[in-house]
Amino acid sequence: MSLKTQYADLKASFAAQPPDLPKCGRLLTKLKLGLIQAGLLLPQGDLNSDDLVVAREILEIGAFWSIRTQDVPSFDRYFSQLQTFYTDYTNLPPSQREYPIRGLYLIRLLTQNRIADFHTALESLPAAAGDSPFIAHPVNLERWLMEGSYAKVWSARAEAPAAEYGYFVDSLMGTIRNEIASCEETAYESLPLKDAATLLFFTSQSELLVFAQQRGWEVNLTLGTITFAKKGEETMDIPKEKIIAASLLYARELEQIV
Amino acid sequence: MPDVEMKPADKKDDKKGDKDRKDEKKDKEEPPKPPPTPLQEIKYNVVLVDRAVATLEPRFAHRALRTLASLRKRLDATVLRNAVEEVFVKDTPTKQALLAWLPEPVAPPPAEVQAMDIDSAAAASTPAAPKAPATEPVPEVDMYLRLLMMHFLDASSETHGKAIDLAHQTVEKMQALNRRSMDPIAAKIWYALERAYELGANLADARPLFLAAQRTASLRHDDETHASLINRLLRSYLQYSLYDQADKLVSKTVFPASAGNPQFARYHYYLGRIKAVQLNYSAAHEHLQQAIRRAPAAARAPGFYQAVHKLFVVVELLMGDIPDRGLFRHPVLEKALTAYFDIVKAVRTGSLSQFQSTLTKHAATFTADRTHTLIVRLRQNVIKTGIRRLSLSYARISLRDICVKLHLDSEEDAEYIVGKAVRDGVIDARVDHARGWVECGAQTGGYGPEVGEVFQRRIGYCLELHNQSVKAMRYPLNAHRKELAAAEGAREREKELAKEIQEGDLDDEDMGGEF
Repeated sequence: MSLKTQYADLKASFAAQPPDLPKCGRLLTKLKLGLIQAGLLLPQGDLNSDDLVVAREILEIGAFWSIRTQDVPSFDRYFSQLQTFYTDYTNLPPSQREYPIRGLYLIRLLTQNRIADFHTALESLPAAAGDSPFIAHPVNLERWLMEGSYAKVWSARAEAPAAEYGYFVDSLMGTIRNEIASCEETAYESLPLKDAATLLFFTSQSELLVFAQQRGWEVNLTLGTITFAKKGEETMDIPKEKIIAASLLYARELEQIV
Repeated sequence: MPDVEMKPADKKDDKKGDKDRKDEKKDKEEPPKPPPTPLQEIKYNVVLVDRAVATLEPRFAHRALRTLASLRKRLDATVLRNAVEEVFVKDTPTKQALLAWLPEPVAPPPAEVQAMDIDSAAAASTPAAPKAPATEPVPEVDMYLRLLMMHFLDASSETHGKAIDLAHQTVEKMQALNRRSMDPIAAKIWYALERAYELGANLADARPLFLAAQRTASLRHDDETHASLINRLLRSYLQYSLYDQADKLVSKTVFPASAGNPQFARYHYYLGRIKAVQLNYSAAHEHLQQAIRRAPAAARAPGFYQAVHKLFVVVELLMGDIPDRGLFRHPVLEKALTAYFDIVKAVRTGSLSQFQSTLTKHAATFTADRTHTLIVRLRQNVIKTGIRRLSLSYARISLRDICVKLHLDSEEDAEYIVGKAVRDGVIDARVDHARGWVECGAQTGGYGPEVGEVFQRRIGYCLELHNQSVKAMRYPLNAHRKELAAAEGAREREKELAKEIQEGDLDDEDMGGEF
């Protein structure tokens, strides 16, 4: 059966060092067609569990492949197809790759700052999943991000439990830098250039200068400081419109009551 | 998961408890009698169900169902057998089918009954009403008795399989009959079905059944069943932590506004759960408040009351508020909420180490209550509270001291955390990086737009409460006729008055007095 040989081929070329990514892509497209014909891509009803395991593995390789080729939307598609296998077919033998893929998905949600989705996804995991390093990593990252321990996030980037996690690190660092920058803008009046660079995890001053320009900071090169533009003491405005709207609402409600 | 199993039982109590409460007044009107035996009660309820069908007043059926909670605990095979024997005077297939589900009585039954049971089960799907029009009770009575039996079978673990079979058969029959007068009972039957499945720990298997039935109920405008089924589905999703699906179900369905309070209470509770998981704490808070308000008195349904409050406390903490101290002294809640009380204390003092130790100490409780993941999220709130306390007590504090006082890992972290707190508006402060300290800003006088907002929120709450209470009131049918008559009379008088004015009998001053 050609599906089987293709499957073996895919496994071999994915496991090869370095993996033959273009070839994997071609094979995956063909295999997905085959899966649709066999009714396994979106499984329904009772199917042979061996077939399901094969289908699951193909999709899992697909998910990893899309990360390696940096195709995030494709990863999303693979993940949502895999969810059926993970949640609805609990009688299948558990997959080795389940937690890494779920962990990757969590990281991906983090990088996009989709915290609500992150927690929903986390909640649907069994309690034991927290012990897996693949899940614990994103969970810790989220906690540090939320409380503001950015230094820990920075140092944790080297501790990623799987190679694929590294692909998300860059965008995660971008998110963090913006977070830190917005904190600095409000919390500091001015900062020496050198300290600003360490706080933002920049290694060279030129990188910092480019970044500062993007954020519109005033850089004083002779003194070697950055001054953050004051947003100006916000004048205490009386929120007239709000008060009027509220008063009208009360009047209407009272009229209904009386 | 003892709590998960407990919850439905408790909730069922409250469901009935609620109705009990609603009609307590009515019950009081009846002369105080010695507590009736279960058999008497069943028979009385059968009469009520009968009357409900005859008068097309679902009120009577609700009244019959109200005693279910107390009745459920007193059921046994003999009571049920006697009830069936007395309600069904003639030997009809319906009766035989009912009796077949009960275990054999202690007295040796005639052998042929058993033989008859077997073929009568097949005949059961055809309603036997036309056979004996005078004495055969309405199918609703049959359903009511089946409901009682399901609860009886649910009660012991050996008969769960049987309960599921009975439930399936009953549901089939119910759907074949398709009688609107059966709706109140049908809603309860779905509940019993879910319970049977849940006790057998395969709630997921019942989901397709619920989904199909929900569609049908929605099409038939069977609000009672519809509401019940939506809750069944939500429960089954949440049981398996499928928050995405549950959220989609909620967004795709409209919860019938005419559903009873107990159903609403549950619905709000489930919604509160979903919203809390999605970090939408203010919405969760609102729903849980509604659930508490609609839930029956605490003493009647302690389980539901406790479950809602557990979640409520956590959500309130996540919102940055500290729950009322009085809540933890409530007789029903005091014991159930001890673990949560400890957490509240830790959050209030802003001590990370205390929070961590409390968390590990009560981890099992929280996991059983399924609030663990929510409580873990409180960590940042603890830190924020700690920082706020420091900023209030110090005009200037070094990062090193913050680090020590809050048990943070490094000064570096402390700097970032303080920076974030400033940005999030938790405190008003400036960080001086060169000298390594934080200068806390002066306190703003506690008067500004935010005060108005709080005030507005409270008024909104009161208005909402008022509107909800108005909606919850019941109006007797045809009562407005009297008012109409009175209005008619008033109009007549007005006309006369007008006539008199025209005739000049009255002058202006009199009129002023009149109105």
